[in-house]
This record gives sequence, C-alpha cells and structure tokens, in this order.
Amino acid sequence: MNRELPREYLRFNVIERIQHVILFTTFLLLTFTGWALKYPEITVEHQRWWITMWGGAKTAGLIHRIAGITMLLDFAWHVIYLGYMLSTGKMKLRMNTTIIPLPKDVFDMIKNILYFVGLSKEKPKFGRFSYIHKFDYWAVFWGMGIIGASGFFLAFPVQVSVLFPAFTVNWIWDVISIMHSDEALLAIVFILFWHFYNEHLRYDKFPMSMTWITGRITLEQMKHEHPLEYELEFGDKKGADK
Amino acid sequence: MKRFLLIVFLWLPLLCFACSASAETFTCLACHSAMKGKIRTEGAALIDVNVDGDRYSGSVHGGFDCLTCHKQFSSNPHEPSNVTNIPKNVAALASKISHKAKADPVALAACVECHEDAYKAVQESVHGRNVMDKKLTDGALCTDCHGSPHYITPKNTATSLINKKNIVKTCGECHENERLAKKYDFGTHILERYRESFHGKKYIIGHPNAPTCVNCHGSHDVKKWADPKSPVAWENRTQTCGKCHTGATKKFVTAITHKPLGKDNPIPYYFEKGLIVLLLSVFAFILGHVILEGLSEIRDKILRKGKEDHHE
Repeated sequence: MNRELPREYLRFNVIERIQHVILFTTFLLLTFTGWALKYPEITVEHQRWWITMWGGAKTAGLIHRIAGITMLLDFAWHVIYLGYMLSTGKMKLRMNTTIIPLPKDVFDMIKNILYFVGLSKEKPKFGRFSYIHKFDYWAVFWGMGIIGASGFFLAFPVQVSVLFPAFTVNWIWDVISIMHSDEALLAIVFILFWHFYNEHLRYDKFPMSMTWITGRITLEQMKHEHPLEYELEFGDKKGADK
Repeated sequence: MKRFLLIVFLWLPLLCFACSASAETFTCLACHSAMKGKIRTEGAALIDVNVDGDRYSGSVHGGFDCLTCHKQFSSNPHEPSNVTNIPKNVAALASKISHKAKADPVALAACVECHEDAYKAVQESVHGRNVMDKKLTDGALCTDCHGSPHYITPKNTATSLINKKNIVKTCGECHENERLAKKYDFGTHILERYRESFHGKKYIIGHPNAPTCVNCHGSHDVKKWADPKSPVAWENRTQTCGKCHTGATKKFVTAITHKPLGKDNPIPYYFEKGLIVLLLSVFAFILGHVILEGLSEIRDKILRKGKEDHHE
C-alpha cells in the first residue's frame, strides 16, 4: 500500500454519528413502548410483563411521547445541518457521493439481483451510498413524514384538529390512526430485515459494522464496497500505486 | 362437658353466619343455599332457586333480610301471597316492569327504595323508556348490568360487573348481540371499532385514564346519541370530550364515530387497503433481496468466486 494513503477513511463525522445514535435510541424506545398498543389483546393475554416493564400503560405513553418528540427534533437538526453543510459548500453534491436517488441506482439494483441469481458475472460498482443505503436512508425520511406527523397529530389532537379542513373531519382521525400504526409496523420490519441484515448480519459485518462509533472504514473496505467514491477520493494516488 | 363442646362446635358455622345475616335470611337460606336447579314460576319465568349464602353475605346487600326486597312474600313464601304493605312507589314501578321482570317484579322495583336517583335516571334513559314506556323486554334494568343483587360487590372490586375492567364487556353483552343490533339498528361493530380506537387500545392495556362506554355515553341516564340530552349529541360533545381533552372544539369532537370502515366510511377503508398493499410489497422486496443476497454470498464463499476480493 502506498504511504500517501491513510489506512482509514472518515465516512461519518461526529455530528452525523450523534444524530444516528439519537435516531436509533428513540426508534427502539418508540418501538418497545408502542408495540403493546399495536396488538393490545395479545399483549394483555400473553405479554403483560412487557407493559409492566415499561412502567405501565401511562408511563409507557409518556416515554413514547418524549422519545417521539426527541426523534422529530433530531430529524429537524439533521435537515438543518444538511442545509448548512450544502449552503456553505462543506458538502458537495456529486454523482458518486450523493444520497439522492439517481437512475444509476435502479440499474445497480437490477444488476445486483442478477448477480445474486447468477445471471451477471460481477457486482455493480457503488459510490459513497449504494441503492441499499439510499433505500435505508429515505425510508427514514418517509417514516418521519408519515409516522412522525401522524404521531404528532395524535399526541396533540385538540390543537391539531383546528388545522384540518371541515370536509375531512369525519374520517381524518381514522386515517391518522391507521397511518401511524401500519407505517410503524412497516418501519419496524424494515429496520429488522433491511438495516439489520445489511449492517449487522452480513458475514463481513457481524455482529455489527463499527462505523457507527468510529465513523471510519478501512480503505480496503472502501475500495471493496464503495469503489466509485474511492476512485474519486484516492483515484490519482491509486494510479500512482500501480 | 365433651358433649357441650360438641354442640357448640356443630353450631359454630351457623353462628358465624348469623353474624352477617339476620335470622330471617338465615331461615330462607337454610333451604335456598342448599337447593340446586331452576324452576318455572306461574308467570312462566325460569328462575334459579339457589342463593349462594357465602357470596350473598359477602355482597354489599349481605346484611339485608330477604323480605327487604322480596316484599310480596309473607314470611312463608310458599303460601299464597297476600301482602298489602308494599310501598306505593315500589308497587307502581313493579307494575311498569312486570312484563320484563317476570320472576319477581316487586323485588326488582324495590331497588328504588334506596337507589331512587339511579332509578329515576334509568326511567329517563333509553334503556328504561324501552321497558316502561314502550313495554318491551329488551332495555337493561338494574340486574342486567349489575348482575344478581344477591352478589353485587363494590364497584372497585374485580367481581363487579361494572368495574372498569368489566364494564365494556358488560355493555357488549347486549350491544354485540346480533338480534338486538338488528332490532334497534345500532350495529354490532361499535365495540369492535372502540377496541380498535386509541381509546379502546389504551383501555385494553390498562391505561388508568382511558375512557370506557360510560365515560362518554353516561350510565344510568344513557340516551340515544341523536337525543339532544345525550352527552354525545353534537351539541353536548364539546363539553363531554372536554372532560379529558381540554378546549375541545366543534371540529375536534367529530373524531369518534364508531362508524365501521367500509361503504359508509370509504376513505379510511381504502387507505388501509392501500397501505397493506404497500406494506406487503415492501416486505416481499426486502425479504427477497436479503434472502437472495445471503444465498449468493454463501455461494461466493464456497466457490471463491469473488475475484475482486483482496486482490492486493
């Protein structure tokens, strides 16, 4: 390995890591305290200890609200932070590093699936964020909009009801309840399978990728998983290396 | 001395019993606590002849004489009754409800002697009017919700049928009954929709502030929602909802309708269907992707196909 090259690459800075920690802590709290309300009959018959563990229905509700508001604040912080980074030029929009979905991602996905089933000889080359990461990231945005908004409405129903136009008032609360509950299930299953598989269970990541604490990945890993970003960052040096 | 002790010992349980119930009650229970089964009265009502003495003495009415309520009986109930001292209000009420309370209308009307306010409220309620004005047998009277007066326990005990834990089920006895739902056009879905709502879900998992049927609809004085005196009539809703949701507005109080999702309520119905399609397609995609990827990685490990790995 060339001496000019560092051993590791800083993938996520400390602010991004803190945002992630707040996000998953509140997510887990919300899941745990909200679960009993999703399937109350089953919970009462078989898992009464679960509600007791969270201090009873009332305390669990309080934890749920606090965690929910913290998560929304974390989300707001993230969006403001991104706006700041982009406007000051500290973060640049580039094809191979952006989180914004591009047509390439669709082709990458098709190619990757073809590779899984043996119809393609090689894996697609990913940038800083593969379509898997992008799906993971935007799912949170989607969830934050749908579950976050509906949760906020449900937590402050009297105040929020003023905002709804008159023709919606007969069905809007049913829609909001369904939205909150079904989308929450989607989010939980999504995290459980998509995020857990890709960041915890894969043989090269198990039991977890340490990037969430250190923010760093080895250059070796970067070259392997994010070849296009590697080329962008170290492409010239790599050329010299050869 | 030994014989004396034996006599005392044998009578002891009965003495204990006598402590909580009067001599007269004891006389009735001597037979009725042992009798089993049901008999048909002259009024063609099927009545249970058994009264569980232990449960009776533990109930809130456990200290009463039988004749306190069973007023039409003389001291020997098996003689033709010729009692004339039934209070007027009890007798009047008994005649109003005799078509429903066939077994012993006087005893059921006797509740009014102590619980006058409650009985007045019931008379004005949709339940009471159904029985007393419309002369139907379906409206709930005291025992339909509170259970047999012999075994009524305080409201805060688990065995009370109107305890917060049991009240929804108690209302459901009639309000989930298909025959009644059809006859009075209230629909069997109401309790189901309540249980699906956030109020109902919180109630099920034991939230102390979760409202039950009676918190919004009232209990003894329950009215049809279309009745302007009902607490859930449109005019009164801001006040009723405002008990918990301070500052409830006209717009807010439309939130709870117990309407079934479906034809009458199409938007949430199709919204839910759409979400289920979305959920299932996302589940199918992520599961398929994860499983395929896992298998392909196992394949690569075995066949050592990944040539871009560790090429330095």
